[in-house]
Amino acid sequence: MKMKYILVTLILLGAAFVPLKSNIRAQEAPKRIEITAKQFEFQPSEITVKKGQPIVLVIKSADVAHGLRFRELNLNVKIDKGGTAELPFTPDKTGDFVGHCSVFCGPGHGGMTLTMHVVD
Amino acid sequence: MWWTDVRRLFSGGCLLAFAALLGCKATPPGKLESGAVTFAKHHVFVGNKKQKNPLPDNHDTWTDGKEAFSHYCVACHGNDGQNTGVPFVNHISPPIPSLASKDVQAYTDGQLKWILDNGIWPSGMPGSKGTLSDDELWSIIVYIRHLPPAGSQGVPDMYTH
Repeated sequence: MKMKYILVTLILLGAAFVPLKSNIRAQEAPKRIEITAKQFEFQPSEITVKKGQPIVLVIKSADVAHGLRFRELNLNVKIDKGGTAELPFTPDKTGDFVGHCSVFCGPGHGGMTLTMHVVD
Repeated sequence: MWWTDVRRLFSGGCLLAFAALLGCKATPPGKLESGAVTFAKHHVFVGNKKQKNPLPDNHDTWTDGKEAFSHYCVACHGNDGQNTGVPFVNHISPPIPSLASKDVQAYTDGQLKWILDNGIWPSGMPGSKGTLSDDELWSIIVYIRHLPPAGSQGVPDMYTH
């Protein structure tokens, strides 16, 4: 009988800790990555992030209005002239993703890209 | 003696320049000329016939295309792709085609992409490779395939103030 109680208690304790562990992961402070957008490049032009790790891309415009769009990831943000915008997200698949400037910014706009490598 | 040679050379140069300028006069092309050039463009000069549009043909892509079109193409083609409100549309040769016309719509998506990338020489159509991204260019093609009714989009902002 005593053994039964111990077993039930252990199972309940285990059940209580499983969600706690995943909560800790979900509440992990996002990693902030600073990026400068200027005609006609992002600096840095490549970043590497971990799958499942929350991140915030902090994008500052050094000149005119810009945007950053990852079509495959359904992410898009616009940055006002001289302003800063934040793009928070958690990558959920690995691979190389190319983001483009999504606000027309001049003759080199079409080649303004940011490559994001998402690794395990 | 040498002075006479210089004068002859100068006169010849002036005549050649005048003839060249006459050749540059912008007159509307005749029916035969238009037909021959259109045939040549569709079957010889404009490549990339078989490439498919990688973007889905849906409302989101159309909206993206409309926005990309508004940054760059409206100056000559109008908001509606049918030259509405373009002030010089009747003063340019070869004429700016309506993008809803049979001639334009007969191009495949791949050919339209080729034209957007490279332009069409010697018309005024410039190439846009590097100016717009591939995604934007492909989305413009979706917009061109589903143009709004002529005149429904008003006059481009640049011509209203």
